[in-house]
Amino acid sequence: MRELVVQVSFALYAALTLGGAVWAVTAKSLVRALLGLTLSLMGVAALYVLIAAPLVALMQILIYVGAVVVLIFFAIMLTRAQAEQEEAGARDTGRYLRAGAAGLAVAGLLAAACLRHGPKISGTASEIPPSDIGAAFLGPYVLGFEVISVVLFAAMAGAVVLAFERRKPR
Amino acid sequence: MSPLLLYQLVAFGLLAVGLFGLLSRSSLVGMLISVELMLNGAGLSIVAAGQLTPMPDELGQAAALFVMGLAAAESTLVLAIVYVVRKRFGSAASDAVSELRG
Repeated sequence: MRELVVQVSFALYAALTLGGAVWAVTAKSLVRALLGLTLSLMGVAALYVLIAAPLVALMQILIYVGAVVVLIFFAIMLTRAQAEQEEAGARDTGRYLRAGAAGLAVAGLLAAACLRHGPKISGTASEIPPSDIGAAFLGPYVLGFEVISVVLFAAMAGAVVLAFERRKPR
Repeated sequence: MSPLLLYQLVAFGLLAVGLFGLLSRSSLVGMLISVELMLNGAGLSIVAAGQLTPMPDELGQAAALFVMGLAAAESTLVLAIVYVVRKRFGSAASDAVSELRG
């Protein structure tokens, strides 16, 4: 019974994730594409919960849905004026075919390699306390932890410098 | 099929869809959305590999949190770039940002 529930919920969440992703790349309106992206992110968060990583699922919702999606929404609003006709114009099928072929080729190659040479293990996921992740961050991986904060600072400062309106004397 | 394989296949699906969107979208914001999808696939794959193999679990989860931090930094910068492109070229389509006509 428990197995069945897990399998059914995995199928549901995987369908939600991939369906949201397909909606995000095919929707004509960018706001609808963003809604599809949010659905997909929520599906991935549910998959994280299913694999016994609730902290990562919480961070996924907090960072992606709470921050990144809002940022992209700001980007849509700041470039609103012509967003509609940019996506509406020039629907040539050749471009779609080439893009689909490229995506399928890369992912299919990786999937074939994974199917043939993937590790033959059937481990069960176990939940670990968040303090272990904190110990990993402040123990052996403290350099990466500090570097990510420097990267975030550099990105913020770069964004401010780029978007800052210079008042040139004319 | 093992659970690890199923999770990797979902991640590859996200990668394929994101790559398709990156190549077929014509607006910069749409391309940013596709890149976020691909990064999500990467995070899902990393966490699944960390949880379902004998490697230490906290390693995979910490790596996924790194990916999230990088995605946040990247989207901040892309937002600023899209804003500047919109101001300078009058449109946020990727075709507009080519001054050299080939």
